[in-house]
Amino acid sequence: MKELHKLTITEAIEGLKNADFSSVELVEACFKRIEQVDDDIKAFVTLTKDLALEKAKSADEGLKKKGVKVFEERPLLGIPYACKDNFSTKGIKTTASSNVLKEYIPPFESTVTRRLNEAGAILLGKTNMDAFAHGSSTETSDFFKTKNPWDLNKVPGGSSGGSAAAVASDMCIFAMGSETAGSVRGPASWCGTTGLKPSYGRVSRYGVVAMASSTDSPGPLTKSVDDAALVLSVIAGKDPLDATSSPERTSNYLSEIQKFNLKGLKIGKPKSYFDLDLEYGVRQRVEEACDVFEKLGAEIVGMELLSPKYSIAVYTILQRSEVSSNLARLDGIRYGNDRSNFGFEAKKRIMLGTYALSSGYYDAYYAKVQKVRTLVIDDFNKAFEKVDLLIAPSMPCVALDLGESEKSSMFGELMDVLTEPSSIAGICGISIPVGIADNMPVGAMLMANMHEEEKILGAAKVFQSSTDFHLERPNLK
Amino acid sequence: MGKNIISKEEVKKIAELSELEVSGEEEKFSELLSDTISYVEILNELDTSNTSETYQVTGLTNIFQKGSENTVTLTQEEALENADMEEKGLFVTDPVFDR
Repeated sequence: MKELHKLTITEAIEGLKNADFSSVELVEACFKRIEQVDDDIKAFVTLTKDLALEKAKSADEGLKKKGVKVFEERPLLGIPYACKDNFSTKGIKTTASSNVLKEYIPPFESTVTRRLNEAGAILLGKTNMDAFAHGSSTETSDFFKTKNPWDLNKVPGGSSGGSAAAVASDMCIFAMGSETAGSVRGPASWCGTTGLKPSYGRVSRYGVVAMASSTDSPGPLTKSVDDAALVLSVIAGKDPLDATSSPERTSNYLSEIQKFNLKGLKIGKPKSYFDLDLEYGVRQRVEEACDVFEKLGAEIVGMELLSPKYSIAVYTILQRSEVSSNLARLDGIRYGNDRSNFGFEAKKRIMLGTYALSSGYYDAYYAKVQKVRTLVIDDFNKAFEKVDLLIAPSMPCVALDLGESEKSSMFGELMDVLTEPSSIAGICGISIPVGIADNMPVGAMLMANMHEEEKILGAAKVFQSSTDFHLERPNLK
Repeated sequence: MGKNIISKEEVKKIAELSELEVSGEEEKFSELLSDTISYVEILNELDTSNTSETYQVTGLTNIFQKGSENTVTLTQEEALENADMEEKGLFVTDPVFDR
């Protein structure tokens, strides 16, 4: 049998049901793994070992008392997870990897972690990220840099880099991340994990340290598509505490996708995405993934879409504007340290946003990009009249060396070029591993229209059922 | 590229509006912010004269809470847990008016 920390959620649940092992053993295995590799990888900023073991013990008792039926009510009972440090956890430090919130202990719980806890999932600790999620390498963390488990000289991507690295190195069974544009799909791609960005509004933002409120979307990083579907079923749905959360029906995504069929499904391949400056190996692996989808019965359809290069500009302005507004609340009076604690990247973003929202510049920048956002949405709507899904690489290259991110004033926005159109439009996307190039994992992205998570999860599930790319792991000690 | 679209003086002004300290780094911020803002010029390639803005993508409007929802809120003690300074159960803030 696999070592316990290497299990997927569905495998771990099977083991717990069969009493092959206990939740305590599962949690202990994860902490043993963390002790073994996290000195090198540095994925975690806070560990909650005592609390986790206590919860594991009560999960084991619950299972013993109620039997396997308990999973109908608590579908993640006894399953250990890691959580990005921008989800407020009551009584547990929540820093957003920033000096401003270095000692902040929230008096309330985010809806996502509350729903995970109620479903029985067990928090192992909080993971490193770009400070306030400002970046795509996890290097702007005010604390330390997280390393890519596949090569410790490379970045894991970001901003959910700690969560992606923790999953890729099997320090947890799954992890939570959040995406504003690329912050789940990017690190998932660079660390070789599955990463889901649900439609905007599908998952509540309540209690998540805000970056750009009009695109922020919490999403899981997992070892399989089945696991992503299971976690989504738990965290999705209307939340009275987030007025932008969607009242649209959610479903049992895990059981929905088991019967998914690719026959007759049309997958659009947007020329403008593949025309970008893509690394050779990335292009090759994603082209090969297209061939696999075709062999499995889908039809790959070449098509025109607006170039993602426009979305870089739209996203940069709207994100910096919303950042400047959201971070205005951090004044050191009600909570956190004062504004002299902001790092360079945060200052840069706040100031550009302040400029773009100023009287005299508002129409030229903020209003202009929101008009182009309409064009991007119309463009997707037209595309989805012809095809069911879209496919593209998740990132233009494999993970970069540490330090590369400092060379551009818009590093994150340029790296996330392929995910930005879908993020500003609010539609859903998933990154799945599709092979190795230059000894590093490559991710392909599937996108579908608003609230059509079943389609991307279903197609990705069929792909993973007939390929082994998602089973590849880095060679760690 | 994009040099001085946002001058050092404007950097100082923006920093003041944002309540941020940037002394000694004005030149660097001027360059980086100008570089970023100049990228937006690419949008002039697109005609938006007949396009309206999308500020949010959900289409939801006027979402109100029912009276029965969210009755649980923070206690005064909890709300003040992280306060820098408190007095008589209230936050102590900097003065906002000149005396």
